[in-house]
Amino acid sequence: MLRHFFKLIWNKKKANSLLMVEIWASFLVLFGVGSLIIYTIRNYIEPIGFEYENVWALTADQMNDTTEIVGKGQQAIARIRSYPEVLSVSNMSSNFPYSNSMMNNAYEYNKRKVQASTLITDENFGETLDIEMLEGKWFTAADSVGKYKPVVINHKMKEELFENESAVGKVISDKYKVTGVTGYFKEKGEFDKNKPILFEQVSGKFWNSVILMKVKPGTDAHFEAKLVKDVTSMLKDWTLEVDYLTDSRQNQHRITLVPVVIFLVVSLFLLVNVAFGLFGVLNLNIAKRKNEIGLRRALGATERNIALHFIAEMWVIATFSIVVGLLFAVQFPLLDVFGLPSGVYFLAILASIGIIYGIVTLCAWYPSAQASRINPATALHEE
Amino acid sequence: MIRLQQVEKVYRTSTIETLALNNINIQIEKGEFVSVMGPSGCGKSTLLNLMGLLDEPSAGDITIDGTSVRNYSDKALARLRNQKLGFIFQSFHLINDLSVLDNVEIPLLYRSGSNAERRRLAKDALEKVGLSNRMNHFPTQLSGGQKQRVAIARAIVGRPEIILADEPTGNLDSVMGNEILDILQKLNQDGTTIVMVTHDESMAKRTHRLIRLFDGTQVL
Amino acid sequence: MFANYIKIAWKVLLRNPFYTFITLFGISLTLTVIMVLTSFIDHMIGSNYPEVNRSRSLYISFLARRDSVNTGMMRGPMTFQFLSDHVKTLKSAEKVSIFSFFSSSNAYAGSKKINLQIKYTDSEFWEIMKFDFLEGKPYSDAEIRGSQHVAVITHTLKQQYFQDKDEAAIGKTIEIEGIGYRVIGVVKGSPVTRIYTAADVYFPYTAPKSGYDQKGLNGRFVAVAMSADKQSLKAMNDEFQARISQIPPDVDGRKFTSLEVPSQTFTDIFLSTVSQMGPNGKTIFYAAVAFILLMILGLPAVNLVNVNVSRIFDRASEIAVRKAFGAPVNTLLWQFLVENIFITLIGSGIALLLTFGIISWVNASDWIAHLDLTVNLNVFLISMLVTLFFGLLSGVLPAYRMSRLKVTDALKA
Repeated sequence: MLRHFFKLIWNKKKANSLLMVEIWASFLVLFGVGSLIIYTIRNYIEPIGFEYENVWALTADQMNDTTEIVGKGQQAIARIRSYPEVLSVSNMSSNFPYSNSMMNNAYEYNKRKVQASTLITDENFGETLDIEMLEGKWFTAADSVGKYKPVVINHKMKEELFENESAVGKVISDKYKVTGVTGYFKEKGEFDKNKPILFEQVSGKFWNSVILMKVKPGTDAHFEAKLVKDVTSMLKDWTLEVDYLTDSRQNQHRITLVPVVIFLVVSLFLLVNVAFGLFGVLNLNIAKRKNEIGLRRALGATERNIALHFIAEMWVIATFSIVVGLLFAVQFPLLDVFGLPSGVYFLAILASIGIIYGIVTLCAWYPSAQASRINPATALHEE
Repeated sequence: MIRLQQVEKVYRTSTIETLALNNINIQIEKGEFVSVMGPSGCGKSTLLNLMGLLDEPSAGDITIDGTSVRNYSDKALARLRNQKLGFIFQSFHLINDLSVLDNVEIPLLYRSGSNAERRRLAKDALEKVGLSNRMNHFPTQLSGGQKQRVAIARAIVGRPEIILADEPTGNLDSVMGNEILDILQKLNQDGTTIVMVTHDESMAKRTHRLIRLFDGTQVL
Repeated sequence: MFANYIKIAWKVLLRNPFYTFITLFGISLTLTVIMVLTSFIDHMIGSNYPEVNRSRSLYISFLARRDSVNTGMMRGPMTFQFLSDHVKTLKSAEKVSIFSFFSSSNAYAGSKKINLQIKYTDSEFWEIMKFDFLEGKPYSDAEIRGSQHVAVITHTLKQQYFQDKDEAAIGKTIEIEGIGYRVIGVVKGSPVTRIYTAADVYFPYTAPKSGYDQKGLNGRFVAVAMSADKQSLKAMNDEFQARISQIPPDVDGRKFTSLEVPSQTFTDIFLSTVSQMGPNGKTIFYAAVAFILLMILGLPAVNLVNVNVSRIFDRASEIAVRKAFGAPVNTLLWQFLVENIFITLIGSGIALLLTFGIISWVNASDWIAHLDLTVNLNVFLISMLVTLFFGLLSGVLPAYRMSRLKVTDALKA
């Protein structure tokens, strides 16, 4: 029976070519949007690994000031730490969590190379953001005396660089010594992928412009204004800016979600459009094939056979289209142009195939049911 | 084999009621070759549709092999059509997108059996109508007579006991028409019961028995 | 006569509500997507408020230096000094403005915190960028020379910062990072997508913390040079590049061997963000854009053609019947034509409404502050004609060809 459908569709491939093109294109649209959504969701379900509520990032830029930058900065930090509203303070580079700034470096261990985001932080970073430690501990001021710079890496980096070995105490790139391994840490938050991160200890030589502080819940802009005023008086000619991590988070979410939502909405409309079109074309096709329906009924087809016949034909058409679509879709994991894990593409392909069969079944359902109710006696005598 | 008792068929639309058949009593015996004649619109085709179980009578009873089909489900009726009946139409009703062989195979698709078995039976049937050299052609490449022979092959491929032919020679010239009737006669001699609607007297003369209809009533 | 065609077309559309719906849905969807998309592109690269002089301006936004082995690279905005030496003095420029890229800060209004973007500009900035002044006026050269603490703010900031929203803000003081500035002007804000003009507060470049007295090459400032008209852009570019080529790359003692300061039109800048992705990235980007466009536009087109082609058989029988009765087929063809034009027009009308709806919704949402998308009617007309073309190609042309067939052939089809 299946062979029969394939033959029927194959012999009518010219008449069905537009339908096939349409389904093929829909498949690719679904595949594209599906990959994007699955990638986004996959990232989203992995924990971010830190606490962003009530954390503020004060960016203090020295501008043209050149004298005793680090010392002034440290004084400001000490002042901030003294407020009762502030629970914990940490000094770090400008690429604080959820910020738009990023820093990448290559690291090496035992000939294995890894590209990792580098955050330059002090010893209070883990505490300020409530980061979970899986191995070892966060570096302290005492660690900075040795030959190697103390670093903490996240679990992802440990996996890529050390696989199953323990990381604590190991030396990376002949320069850094690992003192601890954190759990998850996704620097740009929920929609960031779980990528390797290395936390390097701040040196006393340069000023790192961000002061990250965890404040008591309920602390408002009144305190913030007072804090900025106090710090401004200490850091004359510097520029100061306070970001709430919750705001930066919203901003990051917007950057990620706006394109996803736009693509989703547009492709949803496209698919609805296609579904209507398929439905209309099928209705017309079935009207044209009344004779054949009558004939098949006369030759022993039940109503059910007829309904299934048209649904099966659509499945076969969809199968041809999907096979061609797959030739295109598999290029993405093979050529790896966008750097997504191939599992994402694979899931997207599966989902797209499922949705395509779903749509064609849905579109074929009503016309096929109509076809099965056609009276064979009248259908056979219609010319 | 087929028995129609007090069969009546009324077509209803919202405005008019047409009595297509009125009090028809017909008995077709095994091995008979019966022709049905009458002017256009007399109900010949309706009668054939009823015998072919493609339509239900408004009143009366149709019996196949001694069993009334009145309460048969769609599935049971389809099964009867598939196994006991074979159809031949004036306009052939071949599917143009399928090869001759695939067309002949269609009735076998609605019963169980392997692909190879279907293939074999279809080839046998085409051989019987003398078209085994054309089995990979498409219907559009055939003449009218050849098309009707394909249709006959399709009707006999499932080894039905009864063949219902609706003006099988209506679209053909007399030479081809006679050829077709030769085949039908041969089938009948081999034991197949045939009911044929026609309005060609010469064709009707070659059958065993004649049923005449006029305005939905049996006059002979 | 024509009214009659429309009446018939209308009736035909109502008789097949489903196909009418499918067709309308496809047409209006496609046109809406095209128009919203072009509206965004126009928003990004067109000469819009307040950068109305974009088409006759060159943007000088960075200075890049490389060393011989291409390992070291320094790239970024320039110092005020550098720009006033080399751009301000251009003879072929009508006006030149030097200003900083925006920087972020905060202001506090009681318990409310306001995030701010700050821009330091000269006075020509206000002559090249045509801001709408709702109150007051821009700062003058005198105010700049006097290093006065004055500011031009946007209407949005005024509403956020000052308690009384309706009272004039002129003369009031706004405090930012511990320094009070006198508000001398209130402007309608520029969308953040126009990074050369967008900010919440504009200060004279002599205001504190602007860094205008920095020495050397790289600093915080960029420049826009405006020529008298579009034709003089080339001459201005040549003059500037000739000057730049005079500057030794190692002028400040650093070991660089090449120095470049591109003077680009805005469109070039926009496109160069793409080309920065490298040759491979560029190909992928264009391929992705082409593919997405093809899908967005191609799918509904295929759909329209498909539905139309399937309906031809209905029409074929109509033609055949008419022919069989000896009736003129031309009337019928005219009717198909009118029907097609008619449905395209209705679909376009819906698309126009939808686009206006979407655009005003996006403009009103806080997605991008001060967004001012508009509908481009030229694009609308062109896409409408393309839609019509597909409609005629798939709906009327086959019908026309069929009408030339003999009656019997038509009946067979």
